[in-house]
This record gives sequence, structure tokens and C-alpha cells, in this order.
Amino acid sequence: MPRPTAVEQQLRARARELLEKREVAGVLGFRAGTLPGTCVPFLATEPGDADRLVLNRDCAANLAAWLPRLRHRGRIAVVARGPDSRSIVNLVKENQVERDRLHIIGVADPDDTQPVRNPVVFDEFLGERAPDSPPDDYADIREFEALPPAERWQALLDELSRCIRCYACRQVCPNCYCPTCFVDASRPAWVGRTPDPSDNVLFHMVRAIHMAGRCVECGACAKACPIGIPLMIINRKVSLIVRDRFGSVPGTDPDAPLPLTAFDSEDREEFIR
Amino acid sequence: MMADTNPVPSTVSGDFEPRIVAFLCNWCSYAGADLAGISRIQYPPSIRVVRVPCSGRVDPFYILKALQQGADGVLVSGCHPGDCHYLTGNYVARRRFAVLHDLLGFFGIEPGRVSFSWVSAAEGERFAEVVREVTERVRALGPSNRLADARLTEKAERAG
Amino acid sequence: MKPRIIPGKELNGFIKGLMERAELYAPKERDTSPFPANPASDENPPALDAAEHSAGTPPVNGNREVSQFFRDTTEFRHITDPAQVNLDHLNTKLPLKELFLPRREVMFTFDTDTPERVEPVEAVAAERIVLGARPCDAAALEMFDRVFLDEATPDPYYRARREKTTIIGLACNEPGPACFCTAVGGSPHGSAALDLLLVDSGDRYLARPMTAKGEALVAHLPEATAPDIEKAAGLEQEARAAMKFTSDTAALQEKLKAGFDHKAWDEIALPCVNCGVCTYVCPTCHCFDVTDEESHGRGARIRTWDSCQFSLFTRHASGHNPRPTGRDRLRNRMMHKFRYFPAVHGTVLCVGCGRCIVECPSGIDLRETLTTLQEELE
Ligand code: SF4
Ligand code: SF4
Ligand code: SF4
Ligand code: SF4
Repeated sequence: MPRPTAVEQQLRARARELLEKREVAGVLGFRAGTLPGTCVPFLATEPGDADRLVLNRDCAANLAAWLPRLRHRGRIAVVARGPDSRSIVNLVKENQVERDRLHIIGVADPDDTQPVRNPVVFDEFLGERAPDSPPDDYADIREFEALPPAERWQALLDELSRCIRCYACRQVCPNCYCPTCFVDASRPAWVGRTPDPSDNVLFHMVRAIHMAGRCVECGACAKACPIGIPLMIINRKVSLIVRDRFGSVPGTDPDAPLPLTAFDSEDREEFIR
Repeated sequence: MMADTNPVPSTVSGDFEPRIVAFLCNWCSYAGADLAGISRIQYPPSIRVVRVPCSGRVDPFYILKALQQGADGVLVSGCHPGDCHYLTGNYVARRRFAVLHDLLGFFGIEPGRVSFSWVSAAEGERFAEVVREVTERVRALGPSNRLADARLTEKAERAG
Repeated sequence: MKPRIIPGKELNGFIKGLMERAELYAPKERDTSPFPANPASDENPPALDAAEHSAGTPPVNGNREVSQFFRDTTEFRHITDPAQVNLDHLNTKLPLKELFLPRREVMFTFDTDTPERVEPVEAVAAERIVLGARPCDAAALEMFDRVFLDEATPDPYYRARREKTTIIGLACNEPGPACFCTAVGGSPHGSAALDLLLVDSGDRYLARPMTAKGEALVAHLPEATAPDIEKAAGLEQEARAAMKFTSDTAALQEKLKAGFDHKAWDEIALPCVNCGVCTYVCPTCHCFDVTDEESHGRGARIRTWDSCQFSLFTRHASGHNPRPTGRDRLRNRMMHKFRYFPAVHGTVLCVGCGRCIVECPSGIDLRETLTTLQEELE
């Protein structure tokens, strides 16, 4: 076991305190996995559990995804980095979690590749704030967009053809809480059940559209994919569209409506005849 | 991988008449199409109309599904901004279509496959014009599309 | 059957010989991804020091450590050039089962106008040879056989694939950090379901035939000597010793009988998101779904992988779901593997390949789950 970092020590102390005083039913965070480089989402429910909490850049999950499922547990404290907190903002807007039943312990994201590392909302903040990341220039997206359309299609088709439709990307995503996902609908069956390349593309395109204005680029989906499909190139493109067209950076403004549920009569419509 | 990955035989022929699925809102564009009909304005017989209550009813998924099922093109048409029967349906739809439009381009699906327009109930001539334009664009792109071509059952069907 | 030797580890000639006999399938790395590298990940070295991995072990949870834009996936693929064969890896991303139970398999096609006439699809046309199957993956086929070659209702597609395939195994000398075949009755040098087993013994391969089919592939090679065989035995001992995990699966089977409603399941299931990863990458999971797909009057009946982790797996037409929660579904996976399957077939439904451990997005370790169940269930 590596020595706990300063913020881990603070986190454990705070979690113990919250649990001892019975202020919350549990503290949702991470514990170390059995293999190097892995973390397991973990709900500490006893003061003695607090010392198992860890926080490092291997913590791949977006903890907000667990909150709707833990609603029946009562008041929960959650460790929220930048992306977790952005998803919480979205889930509150979408009525999937109640803000006043959450105690948000904000921490800076140890993963310095995150566009937003510091939490957007929190009830208390532990450790040091991370330096602000430089504004995202979406260089990866622009580089890909520079390829001719036929090559882009072929590249994405090649990648998505490998998708085995295990739906790990969907299951780890805080945005994917629909009781019946459109790919699972059977009356009618919109998307073929088999990993047909064209059905795979359909699944990923429509999921991308469902992510518009909601995806916080936490990267949990791409990290979850066992096949290593570069899902972030799709999600980041959607984020870029939403930023360029609607000036929205999802989950960073608790008071703004979700961009795809709102409109501006002056929205650009150069693509409409 | 399997017996079902046969290459697609080319089906390009000289007199290709595109099949275009047109989602028309009940209150404006569908009425516009009606007016074009009553006024005997000529436009190509390429569209298959699906009447929807509002352009806001058109899930981007319908558009993609039409392409996957072999439509050569898709047209979505609704009321002009400000004229929506449900007040804001087309405004909200416009944002969705913007995302779809940009994403289709990103995926390298030819931009001309999917078209959007605003046509009011009084614009019979404009409706005919839109259909002519869309048909020519799709005709120039040729039959079938990337989403349909990628479909294994489609391939098996063409090969068999 | 006499063990043979492939001297000098010269596999090229051997592989060419195999390719002349039949279609060859072997682990093949996928071609480099066309995607540009993620600019962020270049400057940021992986959190883990590479030295922490034992030599020859692939990066654990590669998805977290390798730039996601250039992640190689080794899978069993049709080999057209001996250079494509890549035996320098622990295990393929997807298990060997893909060659016997494809993730998407057309069983027959039909015309909707004449639904009474179906056109069968031949499962596999030519003889196939698989090179480089790990003993765990091959052992899983014996479990598949119990299911798909059941006397009353053998599966013709599966049977055709099995009969037309010769399997050459590759023994493991350096098990990975997630391997535990010895705990579930296997061995890193195991020979179950294999026709031939290759053992890498430094400067040569020992080739040990198990069947006449396997023997025919190596009959032309020099015979192995006693020291060769001794060396291989030593390697097997070393590999076995490298795997520390043990579990009394017979005792667990008993405990699971009474432990259906135990509260331990809640804690075990908390991190689980009920994706299909653990079941799809598992060489022993064999559940499938069958759907008809139709397009413009032509249809196909298609078999596809399915997973007990999906809510759809058990949802009735009425909408009722007998396994409504994620906990129910995770429990089913454990129950099927360690209680139901052993009760029916006399063996646990796990070969200890460790794929579910490496690939679980939540970092759930089956070994840890087994230990928790052993400790908490009475
Ligand atoms: S789609 Fe966006 S929000 Fe969802 S897991 Fe992926 S990166 Fe995170
Ligand atoms: S996690 Fe990867 S393989 Fe699984 S459904 Fe998502 S993209 Fe496909
Ligand atoms: S155990 Fe892991 S891989 Fe299996 S369903 Fe749960 S989260 Fe997915
Ligand atoms: S349960 Fe896990 S370790 Fe066991 S055979 Fe399946 S994937 Fe391998």
C-alpha cells in the first residue's frame, strides 16, 4: 500500500467524522483495486471503512453514475472531482438526484488531462485547488476533421465495427439512466441486437446525440471499453458542437438550462433551407 | 468473418431515381406539399412522405434509421421559426438537427443526404423547389449511402 | 504419442506448414488505429511505473494506461502471412470462444414471401487450425461441449466448428497477475481440449501431441529427449507456483445453496454497473440470443452473444423481470458459475483466465468476490 497522500488523509478523516456523527448513510468514493492501476467505486458505511478510501488518477469511474442508484440509501456524501461534480449538476437538473440529499466533498481531479479539474459545486473542499486547465482547443478533433470525409467514415466504421455491444460505455455513464435504452427497445426494435457494423454505428451516433449538452468528458466510457474504441473522439466532437453552437459547457453552470432542452430564436440555421 | 461478408455488387445505373424519406410537419410543410399537389406544381416523384405532428417530433434517430434502411436521402421540413403550431417545437428541433447535421459531417456521411427546410402551408411552389433541389443533390450523390452499405443483412441481400 | 521438438524456436516453417494444411487462426494484433494520438496522454506518463509489471505481462487494464487512441487488441484472426502470428502476449483480448460461438452468427436466411423455405448457412466450410490457444481457453471448450454437444440436442453449428478445428495450445510459463487457473482445476500447461501443446522452453518448443490430429502435425519433427521433458515439467511447476490464489470451490458450492439472500451480495454488487464485459470476455460464458433481422423481404436468423448482466436477459414479454436489480444479475453470474453449472455438469464454469478481472470497468476482482463469499456465507 502506498502512503496516503495529504488529500487522502483529509478525506479519510472527514469521512470517518461524517460516519461517526451519522450525518450521512455512506461516503461514496473509491477503494484500491486488486490489480495495479485499478480503483473500485466504494461506499464507506462504517467509520472503520474510511481508511480504505483512495484518490488517484487511476480512479476511472464517474461517481455521479452511482447516485441515482443509491437514492434509497438516504443522505450520501460523495467525493466529487471536476467531472463528477459537473455530472451531479446535470443530474440535479434532470431530477435524477436531489441536491439537498447529497453532501458533496469537493476535491481537485488528480488526472491533469481533465479539462475541468476543480469541482463546480461542493459543500466542502479538501486539499489544494488544481491550476486551471488551459482552454481546450480540441486539437484532436480538428486533426481528425482535416481528413477527407471518406477516410473519416472508414476510420470510424473500422473502429465501431469492433464494438462487441457489451454496453460498458453506457453503463458507466452518469447520463445513461434511461429505464429502457433505445437499443434495448423491442417494440419496435430500433437497433439490431447483433454487432452489425451499421447497427454499431447507429448505436454510437444516437448515443452521441443523447450526450449532446450533457457529456462532461469524464472519459469513463472510453476507459471502460474493453476493446479500446476511441469513444472520446465522438464525445468530444459533440462537446465542441455544443460549445460552438450554443455556447454551453455542460455541467459548469448550475443555473443554465440544458442546451438541448432550450433554444434561442437567433440560433444559427445555416444548414436549413 | 462469416459467410455474410460478401462484397457489395455495384448497383449504379443510368436512370437512378432516388428514394427520399420526407418527414413533414402536419401544420405547415405537409399542407405546403398538399398545396403543391392541388396547384399541380410539378416536382420529382422521389419523396415518400411521413406526416408528423411537428418537426419537433422528428427524433434524429428516425433520420439515421431511414438511411440505414436504404433511403438514398432524407428531408425534414417544418414551420418557419416563429410559426410553430406548438409555439416552440421547431426551435427545439433546430438545435437537435444542428447537432445531427454536424455529427453526420464529422462521420463523413455526405452532407447532401440529409436536408432540412422550413416550408409554410402557403408555400406550394417553395415546397416543389425544395424537393427538386434535394432530389438533384441526392441524385448526384448516387444510390444508397454509407450507413446502409455497412449493413451485413443488406450485403447478404444484395449478394443473394 | 511421442513428444517432439521444434528446434531453434523456428516457428515460421512450422506455421507455413500449418497454413498449407488448413485455414490458420492465431492471435493477431490489430493494425494501428487511424486515429491521431490523444495529445494529452503523450506528455502524461502512465501512473504506474512500467517496471512494476513483470516481464511479458501486458499492461494491466490497458485502457487506463495506454493512450486510448492506440490501443492494440490481440484477437484470434485468420492468418494470411506467418508474420501476423503474435504469440508474445499473455492472453487474447477476446477469448478463443469467438471461433466456436461467434459474436454474430447467421444461422440461416429466408425470403419473407416463402417463409416455409429457409436457406441454411454452412457454419464453417474448410478445415481450421488454431495456433496459440492458452490452456485455460481450451479447457473452456470442454465446458462448451457439455452444453452444445449434449446428446439429446447437439448444436449443429457448434459441432461443425469443433469437428473441423485442430487446436494447438501454448503453455503459460509466466502467468499474469489476474490468472488463477490452478484454483479451478486447471494448469498453465494443461492439455484439455487440445490436439497439441507447445511449451516454450527457451531455445526450442516442446510439442506434445494429445490426439492423432495433433500428432500428424508434428510427426516429421525430431523426438524430444528426457531432459526436454524434464525441463518442461520444471517450467510447469514454476508457473503453478506463481499463482497464489486458492478457493475451495466444493465448499463454496454448498455455501451458495443457502446463501441466495445473504446481505454480502449487496456490498459485492455495489461497484458493478451490469455491463456485459465480464461475460463477453469470458471463455466459458456461453449464453446467446437469437433474433430475426429482415430487410426488403430478405431475412436472416442470427445468433448473437447475450449476457445475464443485462436487464433484457430475463425481462418477460409482460414487462415483469424476475431479476430486476443489478445485484440479482451479478448474483446469477456467480451462482451459474459456482453453483448451478457444477451441480449439473460436475465442474465450475470458470477456467481462471482472469479476463473478467482485467477488463471489469469497476475493477471488481472475481477472486476477491470468491473470498468474500467464502468468508461471509455460512
Ligand atoms: S459519454 Fe461523456 S459523460 Fe458519459 S461516460 Fe463518456 S465522457 Fe463521461
Ligand atoms: S464499451 Fe466498447 S465494446 Fe462495449 S458497447 Fe461500448 S463501445 Fe462497444
Ligand atoms: S462485474 Fe464488472 S464487468 Fe461484470 S457486469 Fe459488473 S461492472 Fe461489468
Ligand atoms: S469467470 Fe473470469 S476468470 Fe473465470 S473463466 Fe470467466 S473470464 Fe476467466
